[in-house]
Formats: sequence, structure tokens, C-alpha cells
Amino acid sequence: MGKGYVFKRILYTLFIFFIVITLNFFIPRIGVEDPAERYYPAQGNMTDVEYEIIKQLTREQYGFDVSTFQQYLRYLKQLLHGDLGTSMQAGSPKVIDLIAERVPWTLVLSVSTMLIGVVFGILIGAYAAWKRGGWLDNAVLSASTITTALPGFFLALLFSLYMGFEWEWFPAYTDPNLVSSFDWSLDAILNVMQNAALPIIATAIGSIVGYAQNTRNSVISVSDEDFIITARAKGLSNETVLYKHVLRNAMLPIVTSLGMSVSGLIGGSVVIEQIFNWNGMGTLFLNANNTNDYPLMMGIMIFLSGFALLANLVTDLCYSLLDPRVKLGGARR
Amino acid sequence: MKKNSNNFFLRLWRHPKGRTGIIIAMLLVFCAVFSAYIAPYDPYDVTQRAEKGLAPSLSHPLGTTITTGQDIFSMLIYGTRVSLIVGLVTGICTAFLGALMGLLAGYVGGIVDTLIMRTVDIMLVIPTLPLTIVLTNIFGKSYFMIIFIFTIFGWTGLARVIRSQVLVLKNSNYVKAAELAGASRWHIMFRHILPGVTHLLIMSTALTSAGIMVAEAGLSFLGLGDPTAISWGKMLADAQSGGALLFGHWWWIVAPGIGIFLSVFSFMRIGLALEEMFNPRMKQGAGVRKLFKSLNNTYIQSVFDEMNEDDTPVASSGKEAVQA
Amino acid sequence: MNELLNVRNLKVIFPTERGIVRAVEGVDLHVKPGECIAIVGESGCGKSVTSLAMMKLLSSPPALMQADEMTFDGKNLLQLSEKQMLDIRGKDMSMIFQDALTALNPVMTIGRQLDEMFMRHTNMTRKEAMSASINALHLVGVPGPERRYFDYPHQLSGGMRQRVLIAMAFAIKPKLIIADEPTTALDVTIQAQVLDVLRKLQKENGTALILITHDLSVVAHMADRVYVMYCGKIVEHAPLRDLFTHPKHPYTQGLLSSVPHLSDESNRFVQIPDNVPSPLKKPSGCYFHTRCAYCTQECKERMPRLTDIGGDRMLRCHHPLGGE
Repeated sequence: MGKGYVFKRILYTLFIFFIVITLNFFIPRIGVEDPAERYYPAQGNMTDVEYEIIKQLTREQYGFDVSTFQQYLRYLKQLLHGDLGTSMQAGSPKVIDLIAERVPWTLVLSVSTMLIGVVFGILIGAYAAWKRGGWLDNAVLSASTITTALPGFFLALLFSLYMGFEWEWFPAYTDPNLVSSFDWSLDAILNVMQNAALPIIATAIGSIVGYAQNTRNSVISVSDEDFIITARAKGLSNETVLYKHVLRNAMLPIVTSLGMSVSGLIGGSVVIEQIFNWNGMGTLFLNANNTNDYPLMMGIMIFLSGFALLANLVTDLCYSLLDPRVKLGGARR
Repeated sequence: MKKNSNNFFLRLWRHPKGRTGIIIAMLLVFCAVFSAYIAPYDPYDVTQRAEKGLAPSLSHPLGTTITTGQDIFSMLIYGTRVSLIVGLVTGICTAFLGALMGLLAGYVGGIVDTLIMRTVDIMLVIPTLPLTIVLTNIFGKSYFMIIFIFTIFGWTGLARVIRSQVLVLKNSNYVKAAELAGASRWHIMFRHILPGVTHLLIMSTALTSAGIMVAEAGLSFLGLGDPTAISWGKMLADAQSGGALLFGHWWWIVAPGIGIFLSVFSFMRIGLALEEMFNPRMKQGAGVRKLFKSLNNTYIQSVFDEMNEDDTPVASSGKEAVQA
Repeated sequence: MNELLNVRNLKVIFPTERGIVRAVEGVDLHVKPGECIAIVGESGCGKSVTSLAMMKLLSSPPALMQADEMTFDGKNLLQLSEKQMLDIRGKDMSMIFQDALTALNPVMTIGRQLDEMFMRHTNMTRKEAMSASINALHLVGVPGPERRYFDYPHQLSGGMRQRVLIAMAFAIKPKLIIADEPTTALDVTIQAQVLDVLRKLQKENGTALILITHDLSVVAHMADRVYVMYCGKIVEHAPLRDLFTHPKHPYTQGLLSSVPHLSDESNRFVQIPDNVPSPLKKPSGCYFHTRCAYCTQECKERMPRLTDIGGDRMLRCHHPLGGE
């Protein structure tokens, strides 16, 4: 029963991933006959002959000298071996190595933001719903209006201005040697925490409010269900009803939204990393964009999509563990 | 039809959330249309060397930029245009595309439905922001591009909602009757089913526009918008790179922030008001609570007392009839 | 007084934005130990609200409640604190709900939900509670209770789920059980089986039962006395046989006529015309006059009193059927 469901989900995930990979292959080839022109756009001071030479070199280096279909097959083969391509950066580093180097730094920011958001958001949201109409409930509602209307990067700039520059609580710009000098010593870890403080605070606010609002709505809608009256009719105290009956059910939609946000964790960090000069995936991607490093950009895209798909898959499977109704699929006795 | 639409705007205006939204949105539209008359200076003028980095004053209400001496207040006024145009146009385009896809998926069904819903699944996985960056790299930076990408990626949520609504309407008697009468699929889709979901489209347009305004600010902040236009996101980027943080020129940062907040806030208010208008269950929770606080105890007691068993009838008109 | 439950002048209202909904307008009822009474009426007549009010399970907001007297087993429920109520609910007074699928927690096994009852009201350990639960499942005729203990509600059939709810209600052998439409969601054949289980357990344990239903065939099967409710008021009360053979209120007659095989008195199949009036706008005078075949001017103007007409019968009607 359960195995069939897991198998089907995995197959479907692979199918979607295949389509995404195919799209990724063709996107840089949109609108140009020769992908070499995309990789090295003509510069103003080049003669036609010079440009032709450069294009020829590019074709040879990136294997554009065979038919598009053959390129596509080779691309798929490389991916099967875990090779995301070669960056155009000096020294031709492998895309996968560049990503591996940066991912932990992005995760430091995004995972802490998410954890703070989930923990505080759920606590606040559950309490707000519990004391429905109370001050915290109203605060959550108004805060959600404000945090959705104020972009996170604006808050980040404000925090940077005050907490970073004016009051000097935290570094406003990330220490440029943060990554290179990191050695797992206590000082280094403290240094990372200090530098990460501002970007985390700036993004965690929106995250907390978002989860708080979701939890609040979810708890309230579960509280109106019939089985809650059954539980109360058993003589269970309000607290027991909340912990044993309301929260478990109210968490189901939260798990789904958690899965959705995991997939956006890395991709969404572009702006915040840019503001604080944080050396993560976002900065890597923006730099790749500035230098026209298509292999790197498309490699990151594939990595991010794969990450998102994996996160969705894991969420789905977790959900089926939490909600017994899903596990059986259509097979009802 | 006309009477109906008048009534619609009247209802929105009567709704407290709707009214604040409309008032702010109107103000912003006014700023966008008459920017040239409202703005005291030419916001594009980067030649005012002597006026660089001024603090807010009577002549420059929000000061000037540190790098080029542009008047920030004038830039703020002109920035309304990009935000409103990108937000509204994307909102409308998304509504059209979402409606079309939702109608096709729901009404035609079968292979069309499968294809559209698979596409939705794929769209949800592709990281939007990185893809936007790649596409602007390929096609050049312009607001047209931004609108295009947001539309391509924004229709999925609406299409799902419309689809499920259409599945309900599809089995309604009036659609069945039209089918029996031999109306064509397109006729039924656009003449009979579409009107049933119009309210969802209007609501979605307002809420999507609000979301897009935030996203547009982010893209402009990253320098992915039209580099020649003045937008709030780009103002924030300029402020950061121009040293507003370093010199503590908070007004240069707060001004565009307030602009973004107001525009997003107004459209969100309108969207939420519409949601409550079309779906009254939405507001029940808070409403009843407020109601309870405002309840008059003596009135409530009189309601209870009125129920007591006696020969006097409940309706007051009846009371007179008995005495007579 | 040897009554187990005595309720006098129970009133429940729901203030809403569109006005005050008068759900229950002064209901009097009493239950003797071991007796089964039925409260009968169409949906929306306030019978479910009455049952929740008797267990003090109505939350405020949205409900407001008042009563002159509400005693249960010698305790004044009106003066008990919520904490004291917790010890009565489930232990002395429990409840069976209508739709067992929504009335059971979907993410908890039925065994665990039964255990809760024992763990809350007895000093049993986990293990003892488990065997007690399995025994309870056995008593209500769930086949293979040892395996079913680990099932989730959605894995059981409707009839089995209802049996689980019954097992839960009888778990601590309460003095009173309120069953709110216990069989409405079931097929007729399953309905009979479930009612048999309910009846058997009620007789064996000497439990008093308040049966809330709109289905008179269920009432005929179970009840000793019947209260007929309309628009929040009791309109007729009589012992079962008297009510079925000589209904005095036109509404009762209407209800009986919609169960053809039971009404051997009249051969006509009478449907009650129109619908239940909106609880926001109840008619003047007798609430039933808008649908009553015997309506006179007096009925339109004056609400009749609930009067004792002898033979343990009460009636609220100006023109009783079959003479005074």
C-alpha cells in the first residue's frame, strides 16, 4: 500500500525533474543560432575576425561543434554522472564544486531564518488562536499586513542603517575573509554568528509573522471541527484538547507550507545576500550573471530545482506519515 | 450591466478596508498621471553638483541624493509610475492567463487538463528569481520583460482556483441546459462559465498586483529593471550604493520604502475587501468578537426576558392588537 | 424530586451582525434515571443547541445562554465552574454525535481516542486503559476489536464508527447520555443495528438517554417520552404511545404524516408546507401559524402557552387536534 504511493511519487518527481533539465538546456539557446554568441557576446572593440576566432574557441571548449541534439544527449549524460558543467571563471572550476563551497553559507542564513520563523511563528500563532481576539491575535493580524507590504530587503536596509552603521551592534557588511578564514574554531563560529545576525533578523521577522498567521488560521479552523467538541465532551481540559487534538491536526497545512518554503530557501536569498555582501549562492549567481557565466547559472538553476523537488518529495512523504488518511491513497476499506 | 458595476464599486467603497484602499490607490494614480506637475524638480537631472546630499528642507522636502544631487521627493513621485504600471498590468495579464488556463483545464478536461496541471507542477519547482535573472540577461533589462516573466509564472495559483470553481459550475443546470441547446464549447466557456468566476478574477487582480509590486521592487533593487527609469526599488539600490547607510541619510531609504508600502498596502486592502465581500465567511471570526464587545447587557437581558413564558406575544405590533 | 436532569427555562441566543438569532427560547425538560426521552424537530429548531447547552459546551462567543434552573444528579450545573464541569463531562454525562467521521479525530487511532476516556476519568494505567477500550469495542459489537483498536477513523465503515462513538459514550457508565442524531448518517439497515446496540447498552447500564432526532421511526424504536420542538420552543410533550396515536399539535401531526407506515390514524400523507422560518425573523404569534392548516386570527397574534393537558402531556396550541 504505502510502497506503491512512495514509488509513484518518486517516479513523478523524476519526470518533472527531467522536464526542468530539458528546459534548462534550451533556455540559453533561445534566440541565438550559435550558443557561443550567448556565452561570449560581441564586444565593441572586436573586429569580426577576432570575434569569429573567439566563437570558434568557445565552440570547441563547450562542445558546440556538434548538432544540438548530440549536445543535449551529452548534457544528459554528464548530469547522470553528477557533472553540472564547467564554469567560465578563471581556472575553469567545476560548477558543482563552486556550489558545494557556497551552499553551507546560504544555509547558515536560510535555515536559521526558517527555524526561528517556524518555532516562534508556531508558538505565537497557536497562542494567538488560543486567545482569539486577544491582543496577540490582533498584533499578528496587523503585523501580517505590514510585513507583506514591506519588502524584506527594505527592512534589511533599515536594520543595516541603524543596527549596523548608527549603533554598531552588528557588522553592517559581512567580513570579506569570513569564508576563507573559517576554521571551526570558537572565534570563527562567533564571528559567523555576529556577521549573520543582521541578515537573519531582517528576514526572520517576515518569516515569524508568516508562520504565525498560517498557524493561527489553521488552529482556528481546526478548533471549529466536530471532533473538538467530542474531545471537550469527554471532559478533557482545554489544554489537553489543544495539545492532543487541535495542534496535531493544525500542523498538517503548516508542514505543507514548510515544504514549499524549503524549496525557496536558497533561491530567495539572492537579495539579502547582495545587501550584506554575504558569500552564498545568491552572490554566486549574481556574479555569474554579471560575467555571463551561463554554465554556472544553468548549473545553479538545476541544483535549485532539484533541491525544490526533493524538498517537495520529502514533505509529501512526511505528510503521509502525519496524516493517516493519505497513506492509503484511494484504497479504503 | 452598468447599474451592476456601479453597485459593485459602491459596495467596495462602503467597505472600510475597501475605502482606505481606494483612497490611497487613487492618490497614487494621481501622482503617477500628474508626476510632471507635482514633482518640484526634474528627477532625471543629475547635474546639480552644488545640491548633493542635502538633508530634507523646504526646498527639497526629502533631501537630495549624495551621488548626483537628484531631488528625492521628485524621484519618489515619478517612481509611482513604474510600480503601478508593472503591478496593474501584470495583475490583469495574470488574471487573463489564469482564467483561460483554469477554464480550459476545468471545462475541456482530459488531456488538456493533464497538460495544464503538469505545467503548473513544473512552474512551481523552477526558482523564479534566478530564472528571471537569466531571462533578463538573455533578452535585456526592461519592464516589459519583468511583466512577461511574472505573468508566465504567476497564473498557476489562480488557474487552480478557477479550475475547481469551473468543475462545480460545469455540473450546474444552466450550463447543462446550454449544452443541450447545442451551444459551442467556447460559447459556454466564455458566456456561461466565465461570468461565474469573474469575482475571483477581480479579487486576484488586486492581490496579484500587490504581490507583484513587492517583487518588482526587489528586481529593480537588483538592477534588473529598465536602467533608465526611476523606480522605488532602484532608488533603494542607489541609496545603498550611494552611501545613504554610511552617512545616515535615512530619508533616502525610508522615502521609497513608504512608497512601496503604500502601493502594496492599498491593493492588498482592496483585494481583502473584495474577498470579504464575495466570501462573507472570511470575516465572521473577528466580526462576532467585535460584536460581542459592543453588546449592550441590558438589551441582551431584554431579549432573554422577552422569551419568558406569558401571554404577551413576542411581536410588539401584536401586543397592541391584544390590548385593543 | 427524583429527576436526574431538570432544565427550566433554558434560553440560548447567538448575536450576529444581521441580528440576534434566538436559537432556544425557554425550554423546560426533565429526565428520570434510566429513562429515554426524545427531542424531535426539523433541523434548525434548536435541538442540537439545547443538547450542547445542557453539557455547557456552547462557547461564548458566539453563544449566550441563560436558564432558571439546570440541575443534574443533584448538582446545580449553572453554578459549577468549568473545572467542575470537566469532571462531569464524559463521566456522568456524555454525548454521541451525528457524523462519526467528523466527530472522531482523523489523525488519532480510535483506540487512543477511547483510552483518553479511561485515562481521564479513572486511575487506569495505559495498559489497563487499552484492555478496557478493547472490551468497550467488543461490547458495541465491533468485530476483531484487538485489531480495530489500532485503526484510524477513516478505515472503519460508517456503522462501525458510530459504534465507536457509542462505546466512547458508555465507557465510564455515565448516568446520562445525549445522543444527537446518532443514526442519521447511516443506511437504514445499519441504523437498526446501531440502535439495537444503543438500546441494549442503555437498558443494561440503566443509563438515561436523551435522543435528539428528526426521525420519528428512531423515536418509536427507543423513547419513553417525546418532546416536540419547533423554532426554539417545545410545542408538545407526551408519552410515546399517546403522541403517536393521538398527536394534539398540528406540527406533530405533520411530522407523523411524513412517516406513512406509522400513522395508522390518518390515511392522508400530509407534507408540512413551506420551510422552517428564519431564526432571525420568526413570525408573530404562534411560530407555526405560517405553515398550519388550522391557523386562525388568534394564532397570528398570540403565542399560545405551553399548558398541562393531563395524562403527563403538555401542549402549546390554540386549537388542539381532537378537541380539548
